[in-house]
Amino acid sequence: MASRKKILLKVIILGDSSVGKTSLMNQYVSRKFTNQYKATIGADFLTKEVTVDDRTVTLQIWDTAGQERFQSLGVAFYRGADCCVLVFDVTAPNTFKSLDSWRDEFLIQASPRDPENFPFVLLGNKVDLEPRAISAKRAQQWCQSKNNIPYFETSAKEGLNVEQAFLAIAKNALAQQNSTIDLYNEFPDQIKLTNTQKPSGSGDSCAC
Amino acid sequence: MSADEEYKEKLIASVKKEVKQVMEESVTRKYVHEESGSVTSLCGAVETCLSQGLRRRALGLFKTSSTTALLHKIAKHCPEADRISKKVQELENMDPNRRSSSSSDSVTKPTLKKNLSFPSSPLPRYLWIRLALFDKQLSKIIDYLVDNASKYYDKDALVADPDYGSLLSSLLVGPCALDYSRTKSVEQFWTDPPADELVQRHRISSGHSTPPSVRRPILNFRRSLNTSSDDSLVLRNATQHLAKDYVESLHQNSRAALLFGKNNVLVMPAKDDVTEPIPGYLSLHQTPSSLTIKWTPNQLMNGLTEESQDKSIYWDYALQVRLDEIVYVHCHQDSEAGGTIILVGQDGVQRPPIRFPKGGHMLGFLSCLETGLLPRGRLDPPLWSQRSGANSTTKRRRPLPALSETEETTKDYVFRIIDNSGHKDLLKRNDLMDTKASLPTKVRVQLCSTSTSSESSTKSFSIDQQVVPDSPPSVCIQAVCDSMKKQIISRAFYGWLAYCRHLSTVRTHLSGLVNSKIINGDDASEDRLVLVSHVASIRFLQYGATLGHCRSGNLQSSSLDKSLSYENTMSEWLAVEAIVRQRDKEDQAHAIAKLSSESMSGDQVPNEIHRDLSNEVFEETVTDDEDSGSDEENRTSTKPKKTKQNTIKYDSDEDNDDREKSLQQNGDKSNESVNSNENQRRSNDGETTCDNQLHESIDLELDGDKDELKDFIHNVIVTNASIDISNVENENPVSNHLDAVTEENNSSLDTCIETHGLASPARSTCVSPASSNGGVYTQELLETFGLNLHRIEKDVQRCDRNYWYFAGENLDKLRNVMCTYVWEHLEIGYMQGMCDLVAPLLVTFDDESLTYACFCHLMERMIENFPNGNTMDCHFANMRSLIQILDAEMYEQMHAHGDSTHFYFCYRWFLLDFKRELLYSDVFTTWEVIWAAQQVASTHFILFLALALLEIYRDIILSNGMDFTDIIKFFNEMAERHDVAAVLKLSRELVLQLQLLIENK
Repeated sequence: MASRKKILLKVIILGDSSVGKTSLMNQYVSRKFTNQYKATIGADFLTKEVTVDDRTVTLQIWDTAGQERFQSLGVAFYRGADCCVLVFDVTAPNTFKSLDSWRDEFLIQASPRDPENFPFVLLGNKVDLEPRAISAKRAQQWCQSKNNIPYFETSAKEGLNVEQAFLAIAKNALAQQNSTIDLYNEFPDQIKLTNTQKPSGSGDSCAC
Repeated sequence: MSADEEYKEKLIASVKKEVKQVMEESVTRKYVHEESGSVTSLCGAVETCLSQGLRRRALGLFKTSSTTALLHKIAKHCPEADRISKKVQELENMDPNRRSSSSSDSVTKPTLKKNLSFPSSPLPRYLWIRLALFDKQLSKIIDYLVDNASKYYDKDALVADPDYGSLLSSLLVGPCALDYSRTKSVEQFWTDPPADELVQRHRISSGHSTPPSVRRPILNFRRSLNTSSDDSLVLRNATQHLAKDYVESLHQNSRAALLFGKNNVLVMPAKDDVTEPIPGYLSLHQTPSSLTIKWTPNQLMNGLTEESQDKSIYWDYALQVRLDEIVYVHCHQDSEAGGTIILVGQDGVQRPPIRFPKGGHMLGFLSCLETGLLPRGRLDPPLWSQRSGANSTTKRRRPLPALSETEETTKDYVFRIIDNSGHKDLLKRNDLMDTKASLPTKVRVQLCSTSTSSESSTKSFSIDQQVVPDSPPSVCIQAVCDSMKKQIISRAFYGWLAYCRHLSTVRTHLSGLVNSKIINGDDASEDRLVLVSHVASIRFLQYGATLGHCRSGNLQSSSLDKSLSYENTMSEWLAVEAIVRQRDKEDQAHAIAKLSSESMSGDQVPNEIHRDLSNEVFEETVTDDEDSGSDEENRTSTKPKKTKQNTIKYDSDEDNDDREKSLQQNGDKSNESVNSNENQRRSNDGETTCDNQLHESIDLELDGDKDELKDFIHNVIVTNASIDISNVENENPVSNHLDAVTEENNSSLDTCIETHGLASPARSTCVSPASSNGGVYTQELLETFGLNLHRIEKDVQRCDRNYWYFAGENLDKLRNVMCTYVWEHLEIGYMQGMCDLVAPLLVTFDDESLTYACFCHLMERMIENFPNGNTMDCHFANMRSLIQILDAEMYEQMHAHGDSTHFYFCYRWFLLDFKRELLYSDVFTTWEVIWAAQQVASTHFILFLALALLEIYRDIILSNGMDFTDIIKFFNEMAERHDVAAVLKLSRELVLQLQLLIENK
């Protein structure tokens, strides 16, 4: 099976429970919406092939449990991620407030090589619902404060903006993977440099 | 030669495999997409076959893709090739961007990396094969190539081979007959076949319903060398190892220098059953102590992969001659057949003649021999002096007369091997050398004994020095065999030792998983009842009994108490809920207000204010209390908070307005408002009644009004959920009256609960008995419960809503049970998955209090699985050991993939007792089995269920080489589609298997 895989981009969807992570994933992959989803336990993923910049890539989209208590499982799933999608519910202020902790927790657990520039994408979901509690302006401000994270307002129910959002996700993930490959392949001298930096980085995350 | 054959065999096998993939894909999906991964793989395999043995140089094919060049070359003669060739050229002439996009799918990972560094270089690699395949011409083109193979291919090429060539072209007939689709639908984008398809493919390839345990024994001690049944296997394995070691010892290594080696040297072994000389490999080895001549039959040299033949006989033929045992070397030169050497030992016995092929090999051997003998020994007469003296035309003709009397013809000679050093001296020296040389061997043996695996890396074979020296020459080979036997036995012993250790691991680590007492079906007939019963009424009783809800089994009598306390608890948290609702509403209103005004600066401040306000809402009742004139001492503790009364009152008025508004806005909220309405009224009314009187009436109330109370609370709480608000308001007088009763009951019960120490500590510490029902709660408690409440609501709404039972108001029951549990266990809190555990219980009982009681008992075991416990890791560790013991093959594969040893695909299984994996009807059965197994067979039955689930699909998992992620995906897709009967049966068998393993002392 592994031999048939092409460029594989691993994408993790994070966010509070019932902000619509599973719905977004299924809307994107199979273009359908149902209100029959149950709370995600453990983790699940779907794959989808997309063409980004004339290149066919396979997106492996991981859907996770929303309750923060289950984050301890994350280590197993976050590893090797190429992009992290943060989702909040525009009608529920609390889901927006916890974005920071989701982002931080992800960076700690996944410990990417370059945390500063690791690609995140923010999705404000359920824009079809009223009343709105988080304005687009406020979400964008948050994004700007986090190194200009791309922001999309989506509706998994109506399929609004979902395609565009995931295309951006794929692009960012691909860019991330390319930069990683470049680091390995084209500048072999730099490997040493990163190696010396790595212990300090991973040391932080391995506080356990 | 044979390596070539092997390679060809491999090539053909890979083509076969890919063809099979493509054909399967076409069957299961009804079409194959052009850009499917399997097509690419097939093209790759064909390409490799076609490039093998291609006469590039002769044909002048120097392009990057020589097969493409070949295509263009044969285009002149083969019309099909011409057609494809033109198409290829067309494509190649297109603009480069287009080209790269069309190629992108055929680029495999390693080439991709190359592409990144040289972005403009690549041509589509298998383009022409791809096109020929889609055009259904590929098999014809290859037919042509096979027919004309002599022109384009080397003699030993795969295509030129009469068998393989035609096999290749006929293999491709199938794929060439398929239609390839270009259109991309959603599903085609998916690279990995979905679980359905995998299962279907599995059926295609293996026939229907094949339980894995039947076809392949799960107990597979590949490493651990079972003593009884697998003896032959052990020996064969060991022989193979020995043979491998032996062959390796023939190479130059650290202990012996290889002076001479020649293959296809004929030897006529001195055995009765051999009539013809056998070809073999002759080698001359120099060790510190001596020279050794070895001759090994070809069958032993290259036949290592074929296991069918019994090769032990050839070991008898193998020659091993130490030169210090040899005195004379007879040489017979034969112009036609090369030369023959006969070695004569000190005892005068002739060794089997060694016949060299033509081409001066005998001379080469002799000169190597002479060099090897130096400095301690020499050939007499010396070969060198003769050779340097004589010229090459008189090869081997010796002018020296010393030994010429043995010379009968001009071409036969005899050399004597002379030992220069004194014989004793030599022996001494030999001994020294021997001990020295054998030291590593001994160390090695010790190493071998410490390592549990029989695969210890003994690379060398200790025949050469240690064993042989003192044995008489005639039994030399026998000694070799003996030593091999010894090694075989020792290996078998260590294997057995390893197996014993393995078993002791089983006993120490896994014995806790199953009961040691094996109960078969007859003994456990009572429990069998549980295992097979699907009758609801039995289940009703059994659930309670097996969960330990009531040990006496007298469910009915205890249920009354249970429901009573349950409802009390519920009334407690309902009060809190009302407050939480209130705050939420204000929160929301505030947020909306803020959004509309878009005042970004004062983000936090209004929130704080608001919090204070909402706090007042519940204090209000207390302060009202004081106003109404009762002067209990303990109330003074709340006095400091009294300051904001006015605001509060205003607040509550506003609440009423809000409530009505929200009612009109959304129907969902109405229930909650009713509750809060109810609650406030209740507390207000409570003030008017006399506290003392209440206290006095506690006992009476408790004894006499149990039933009434139960009914009543049911009415208020459960039915209120569906009552329309207008009704409530119309019935105000009635509800007022009812409220009074509630109040009495509640307060009395509260007192009761507090005296029993049942109330949550957060509550009882801060309030007096009388006011508690009115609801003075700490901020912390409110926040915690509020948070949990929201989570519960979100999950309850999503829980099993497609199951008929939860279509209507039963979801409220689920929510009530859940909230009650969380209220009673606030320190645990709500965790996702709890709802899933409550739901089947509720469906069975259809009674909240019973469900709650059973759920509490269920959670005693399950709570440790949730993130704050550590049982999940234990489960994973046990799972790992179980697979290692019961299915070594699967374990190997998982181990090879590395990260799948996490077993996270089992996470949901264990967390929810397989509830999500199975259909509702199956969940009942499975849970019953799990609970019953606790008493009968194993407290960790879920492990065996999990293992059974894996085993059911083991062939799919193994044949597809699934890794960690593939397995997760597979099982997520297979959820609710398992054959539960089979899984349960297999899991019982697995329990028994482990029990037997442990018992087998």
